[in-house]
Amino acid sequence: MQRFLDPAVLARISDLDLVARTVVDGFVAGLHRSPDFGFSQEFAEYRAYTPGDDLRHVDWNVFARTERAYLKRYRGETNSLLTVLLDASNSMNYTSHSVSKMDYARFIAASLFYLAIQNQRDAAGLIVFDDEVRNYIRPSTRQGQLARLMSGLELAEPHARTDFRKPLDHFQEFLRRRGLVLMLSDFFEPPERIVRTIEPLRFHGNEVVLFHVLDPREIRPELGEPAILVDLETRERLEVTPEYAQNEYRQKMATHIDELRDRARGAGMDYFLLSTERPLDEALTEYLSIRQRRN
Amino acid sequence: MGFLAPWFLVGAAAVAVPLYLHLLRRHTTTPQPFSSLMFFEQRTQSSIRHRRLRYLLLLALRLALLLLLVLAFADPFINRPVASASSGKLLLLVIDNSFSMRAGSRLADAKRDATSVLASRPPSERAQVMALGSQLQVLTQPTQDSVGLSSAVNSVQPSDTRGSFGELARALHSMAESANEPIELHLFSDMQKSNMPANFQDMVLPPNVSLVLHPVATKAMPNWAVESVNAPGQVWDPKKARVEAVIAGYNTPAAMRTVSLVVNGKVAATRMVSVPASGRATVEFDSLNVPYGFSRCEVRIDSADSLPGDDSSLFAVERSDPGRVLFLHESADSRSPLYFEAALSSAAESAFTMESVPVAQASNVMLSKYAFVVLSDVSSLPSVLENNLASYVRNGGSVLVAAGTATGRLPRVPVFGANILQARYYSNQEDHFLNVGDADPAHPSVQKADRWSGVKFYYAVRVDDSGSRVVARLTDQTPILLDKSIGEGRVLLLASGLDNVTNDFPLHPNFVPFVEQTAFYLSGTERRSGSRLVDSFLQLRTSKEQAVSVEVIDPGGRRPLSLKEATTAQSYQLTSSGFYQLRLANGRQDVVGVNADRRESDLDVIPPDVLALWSGNTSKESVASSADQPATEKNKPFGLWWYVMLLVLLAAVAESWVASRYLGTRREEL
Repeated sequence: MQRFLDPAVLARISDLDLVARTVVDGFVAGLHRSPDFGFSQEFAEYRAYTPGDDLRHVDWNVFARTERAYLKRYRGETNSLLTVLLDASNSMNYTSHSVSKMDYARFIAASLFYLAIQNQRDAAGLIVFDDEVRNYIRPSTRQGQLARLMSGLELAEPHARTDFRKPLDHFQEFLRRRGLVLMLSDFFEPPERIVRTIEPLRFHGNEVVLFHVLDPREIRPELGEPAILVDLETRERLEVTPEYAQNEYRQKMATHIDELRDRARGAGMDYFLLSTERPLDEALTEYLSIRQRRN
Repeated sequence: MGFLAPWFLVGAAAVAVPLYLHLLRRHTTTPQPFSSLMFFEQRTQSSIRHRRLRYLLLLALRLALLLLLVLAFADPFINRPVASASSGKLLLLVIDNSFSMRAGSRLADAKRDATSVLASRPPSERAQVMALGSQLQVLTQPTQDSVGLSSAVNSVQPSDTRGSFGELARALHSMAESANEPIELHLFSDMQKSNMPANFQDMVLPPNVSLVLHPVATKAMPNWAVESVNAPGQVWDPKKARVEAVIAGYNTPAAMRTVSLVVNGKVAATRMVSVPASGRATVEFDSLNVPYGFSRCEVRIDSADSLPGDDSSLFAVERSDPGRVLFLHESADSRSPLYFEAALSSAAESAFTMESVPVAQASNVMLSKYAFVVLSDVSSLPSVLENNLASYVRNGGSVLVAAGTATGRLPRVPVFGANILQARYYSNQEDHFLNVGDADPAHPSVQKADRWSGVKFYYAVRVDDSGSRVVARLTDQTPILLDKSIGEGRVLLLASGLDNVTNDFPLHPNFVPFVEQTAFYLSGTERRSGSRLVDSFLQLRTSKEQAVSVEVIDPGGRRPLSLKEATTAQSYQLTSSGFYQLRLANGRQDVVGVNADRRESDLDVIPPDVLALWSGNTSKESVASSADQPATEKNKPFGLWWYVMLLVLLAAVAESWVASRYLGTRREEL
């Protein structure tokens, strides 16, 4: 099963739903006896039934013994709203192998949607943005939500350049209810500006996780000879030497990653670096296990 | 400077390829998309400048390599003055010392002329001396040493060889191939007409040889000579040996000449002969009374001409007892011995005497004293005799078996050992006889017998021919003559009789040479000639007689072969006239009389117009070239392609080195 989770293999599967199922089922199978994964699977407490509550959640065993209706509450119910912010700027189109950053981000998002909706029955939504909000699918648990989300991911094609500030204003409108906000982006902005822009989401009680999606060649570029590089977003051209790419660029990129991680965590956000050559299940497992420890 | 193949310069257009690859293509590098240039800075590194320099050096080397290659193919040359080469002209003196130069004072005149030419040459000019006979003999290397050159001229001695201007031209062609310097050839010769090759083209000299002729004879001189002597090499009966000599006169008036036959220094017979003007006369001596062993003979004339060397002709004769032949036959058969003996005595110069013995009385005969045995159509063979014959053959004896009608009734041919398959009578054929269809002309028995054409065979015995060599077959493929080696001896089978009943062979003219050749073949006697020509070769050993010492004693009593040559030399070239004494590898002693080639006796000279043509052909060119000397001397082309190719090699090595370093840098970066 593991070989199916290779991003390069998954990239050949055109059906995003199938990709998500393959990833999730694959790594769930790999977790063995770990039923308490996910956002809100862990039991928290019993609460007395009040009119309007969903009768499906009544613990009928307790009712039989005590003749009182109690609802079984789980810890996840406090953040059962999942919103994925997907960066669809042109830089996400970059790839040095068979999987672009955009594809990889789609796979991650699809897998998380599948996990949330199919396994947890949580509400999930999607916001696709570049310098504007391109698509918004409201979080919901309604029938067909997963299909809508998958369709939204399919339609998310990179267009313009990234600008977090403008779409974040809209996010404030959309994210009224607190929940889990996952942002998938390559974050080619100064870390300070990124964190400052995203930080307000955290004030609403949202749990914010930054998925930093990068191609391996973006982290360790390899140039055989001097080359002219073209910025995918700005179309700017620059002649770059192999020596620079070998030394100074790598150092700058490492500093950028470290600073972003530090600032994000300093602002109460989680940060995960995802290299597109990394198997998807491995990335998800790491993320979920870290979350589990935190909870 | 110029180019011998200027069209190759078009190839210089190929420099466009590296120019395109290095310069144009480099600037059209496809930009690579990258997600963000946020962390990049525009910067030109010093290492890039270094590499660009190396890149330009590589480009320059590649351009140079291509241009040099094109240059090499265009074959450049420069005009170099050849004045120094002209001063390096070789003065080649060739003195004819062939047999005809013995006439009068020809050789002395030639040497005197050569000495005067040597004296008149500039001291710095190199000269070389050679002698011309049948081959060109080098007497000195090219040198300026006047003393050595004069000594070489004076050392030239008359020889008995035949001069050849064709050989002179051939040798000079090979000299001209190895040395490009001009050669001034001075030929001192009697310009004998007979020295010319059959084709004038064969004596044309190479272009860089200018010929200067120094004829020492301008007209033909009268000369008498013993042109040829026909004498046997071996004599068995002196009374039956005959000597025939041809006396020739060249440019001579009609005259009477006294011809003497000299045996071992004593005049044995004298004849007077009338030789017509510039003609030939034949003299015959009826007997050659020589003692047993080798005798040194000559036919001599009194001529009193200027060339006494050809007034006698030498030959050697060996006298020995005739070989004995045993003829075994049935008592009733009287024809076979009659025919065979008649043929043997008439043809073989009394080399053999035949004893005819009926087979029934031959049991006690000592076979070893006979040269060979003839077994003629016996119906039965006493076992003692058959054993004796088999032993005789195994020990090296030879037998001729004739299988007629009597032998045809036996199951196998006696002595020969082959089974008789069938006795065939051809009387029922349409023509009542068969002829010989195939014959091996290499076999001595049929060599001179005209392949037995016309011989009619009425009867033949068909035998199993396995293990034997079929010499002749009838037209129905029946083997008629077979040869077989048994032990050290040899058996020849005639599958028919020796009488005139089973065939008409004994009555046929081919029978005599057949008997003669077969007798010599079976007895192992070689027909030798007692005289040879100068420059001919004597075979000293056969391929089976290796590592056996031979001995040659020349007419001067010297042994010309070294010890090593005496054990390895296959042949020996006879270089002078006189008697050579030999001991061959097979142990046989021999004496050979050697005479000069009689074509040298004709002292007629080459006509002046032919001489002018010969020297003019080359001299015109040389005169022409010397007339153009001031102009062409400075303009001799000197090819440079070799040096250009050397530069190509250097450029290729440098290009490989620089390219490997450049690519090496790139690999490190990766």
